[in-house]
Amino acid sequence: MPSSISRSDAHEAEVRGVREGALPAGLRKTAANRPGQAQPVPTRDIPLQPWARLALFVAVAVTLLTTGWEVEMRRQGLHAGDIDDSPQAWAEQRRAGSTAAVAIVGDSRILFDTNLDRFQALTGIRPIQTAIVGTNARALLENYANDPKFKGLLIVGLADVGYFRPDGIGFGGAYMHAFEKNGKPAQVTGLWIDRWLQQYFAFMDSDYRLSLMLPRFDHGWRSGADSPYEDVWKISETYADRQYAMWDRIESGGYLRDHARHAWGGFKGPKFPPAIIAKVVARSAEAVRRIRARGGEVIFIRPPSAPELRVNEDQRLPRSRGWDALLAGTHARGIHADDLPQAQNLVIPEWSHLSRRCATVFTDAYVRRLVQLTNRLKLRADAPPPLSRADCVPRAIAMNK
Amino acid sequence: MIFNSLTFLVFFAIVLALHYAPFFSWHQKKINLLIASYLFYAAWNPPFVALLWISTVVDWWAAQWMVRARRERTRKLWMLTSVVVNLGMLGYFKYGGFLLANFVAVAGSLGIVYHPPGWDIVLPVGISFYTFATLSYTLDVYLRRSAPAGSFLNYALFVTFFPHLVAGPIMRPTELVPQFEQPRQAKPDQIGFGLALLTLGLFQKVVLADGFLAPVVEAVYDAHGKLPGMLDSWVATFAFAGQIFCDFAGYSTSAIGVALCMGFAMPDNFRFPYGAVGFSDFWRRWHITLSSWLRDYLYIPLGGNRHGRARTYAALMGTMLLGGLWHGANWTFVVWGGLHGVYLSVERWLKQRFKGFTPGRASILGLALLTFLLVNVTWVFFRAKTFAGAGVVLKGMAGMQVKPEPLIAAGPMIIAMVIVSGIFGTHLTMRDTTLERVIERTPAVAIASIWALLLFAVIIEQGQGNAFIYFAF
Repeated sequence: MPSSISRSDAHEAEVRGVREGALPAGLRKTAANRPGQAQPVPTRDIPLQPWARLALFVAVAVTLLTTGWEVEMRRQGLHAGDIDDSPQAWAEQRRAGSTAAVAIVGDSRILFDTNLDRFQALTGIRPIQTAIVGTNARALLENYANDPKFKGLLIVGLADVGYFRPDGIGFGGAYMHAFEKNGKPAQVTGLWIDRWLQQYFAFMDSDYRLSLMLPRFDHGWRSGADSPYEDVWKISETYADRQYAMWDRIESGGYLRDHARHAWGGFKGPKFPPAIIAKVVARSAEAVRRIRARGGEVIFIRPPSAPELRVNEDQRLPRSRGWDALLAGTHARGIHADDLPQAQNLVIPEWSHLSRRCATVFTDAYVRRLVQLTNRLKLRADAPPPLSRADCVPRAIAMNK
Repeated sequence: MIFNSLTFLVFFAIVLALHYAPFFSWHQKKINLLIASYLFYAAWNPPFVALLWISTVVDWWAAQWMVRARRERTRKLWMLTSVVVNLGMLGYFKYGGFLLANFVAVAGSLGIVYHPPGWDIVLPVGISFYTFATLSYTLDVYLRRSAPAGSFLNYALFVTFFPHLVAGPIMRPTELVPQFEQPRQAKPDQIGFGLALLTLGLFQKVVLADGFLAPVVEAVYDAHGKLPGMLDSWVATFAFAGQIFCDFAGYSTSAIGVALCMGFAMPDNFRFPYGAVGFSDFWRRWHITLSSWLRDYLYIPLGGNRHGRARTYAALMGTMLLGGLWHGANWTFVVWGGLHGVYLSVERWLKQRFKGFTPGRASILGLALLTFLLVNVTWVFFRAKTFAGAGVVLKGMAGMQVKPEPLIAAGPMIIAMVIVSGIFGTHLTMRDTTLERVIERTPAVAIASIWALLLFAVIIEQGQGNAFIYFAF
């Protein structure tokens, strides 16, 4: 019995380091009990339990539990092959962005609304996608402006109210801060293994972690505090090269789409004072100037948003005071969704980002305009024919419009 | 790499396979472990392996020349060489920017305007830990507490052995070098218990610390100008008490489990610290390997309690202030250490003043609660990045915030308080026993079920590969 162990047994255990059976607390000493002396080999006592059989039981139980969880997560709409985004994945793309012919920065709208395959099919160039959800595109523009290696075309996708936000960078701050760290071997190998596993397991989704799902029972119980219910939940799927696409559960409607719409809060907020606008334009102009000085080019893109949000966005920052002032101040060219006939009345399921199929239509529309604005891109001779709204809007919806 | 990463799982599987491969000699297995440990460290930042080599080689030769020296002055010279090289590297990488900033501030206060170039030095992971580990080698040899290691391979492996390399437990050479002298392989029971400890450590880190507690802490401590009220301030600070424990004890538990799977014994680093009654008790339970290191190589050499009351209090305060600074190059850490020094001094005085006092059960509970609350006050300085930030939270804790805002939502707050209460209650009830003893007395079915649930929770939490807080130290 372990409780009958003598002090000499304990001493023997100290010499050997590991002993079977748990030592009584009084006999199990630490460095705290031995002041001012050389510390002996520590004692690790192994509780008397059938550990090999326990380990076998745990392996079987965890396999069953995880299988059940995987089944449940697939039932919830998660898919294997949705490889998730991460600061490490962004860092990988950002490193490639330094020497890219075309790189994209911006917030979630350009991230969702650009189909990289379509871009490549039209131009022969696959852009490097370095936009980040919930991030001020201006900070990313400045990030490239500070990169002496970048001499390509930078597409800056923006939602006006995010771009002209005077304070903070948003989620992208942490991505940029950890850029160096995320290029280290430990992070890079972790990214490879993670991607490989996500090809097979649907439950591996950063929006469906235990600690995120559990607090969602709180639907704003404490007045004034930011409830987890108010957060943006999963709305996207991610594939290779950080290709984002609208999650089909959001496209198909129901509770999750309603929640996503609710989470935007209508993009309501205060109006932007002229001083802030002038400051943002000045900083943007400086960033554009630095990129151009190295031989690079910058083109702004404003993807569409649904009328439910657009009304508030325009109220806070009308196009003439925001978008037009930005292009004038930076002497840069830009493509506004309003000016693309093929991009009108597309499907925007949760009001802020295009549906998967409409993102391809929008990409087709803006790339065809892009090649007219810059000689850095050319339409391939074998480019596919243009797409139109009919290619992505379900017939029933199209007929109602 | 970190224990809570997929990379580590692959790495550990390979290391175990090599360790148990029948065709390698023990000498070759030690070389394998040494190479694996260097790879483990290089995965963060390959060039910093050079610092490990410098530390290893300098201390090896310093100890060798120390025992060969005939004169005491020569011995002292080699000891000082080791101290200067090790603390010099630590000072340059960890405290260089801090010292420069303070120099500029002092010069500015004297009317001297000085604008030095920016101090853009990356802190090598775990430098504070392996510096202390290697220093203990030369200091033990100098103090004649132990003989130098018999083999360079054993010594190099002691310095770099990956389970303790970057965040402790801070091992002494006499604890680990003898374990490398003869072949070690774990029995199946040891591997099973080692894996159970690894699971427990990962659960503490991935699920409790990172998953549930960190967001509650950040809601208040990183609130960017919003003012927390009394409830939010206390809850966030309690949550941080839970987070820092689960983070650091989680690492130590994982490290002990990993080493055990290979047949090596590592010392306890935590022993239910929030069940402490008083602060000397707390420091016998919290980060034991650091507090005993500071006691053996700082407090005792400073005079300890052998030279009268005033000297004792001075040694105590000096040790705790430097202990605070060890945690980070910021005056907030110094204040954190200083507060603990004050607590320890007051406790020492009270113990002398009320020598005959023997607390009953209710008093023990009350004193444990008081200790926990006062420890939480010190955590404010540990977590806040600036004194202004600490002031905001302390003002909130005192209920003196004029227009506080609710910062923590009800759901996360409830979950955090359940976790912290669970930690405090567990520590209190287990303060006089050990985890092993409790496990031994628990039915096997219950152990297996709990183990499976912890592992399942780790898997579905997934983790974001967040670094351990103590890596920054």
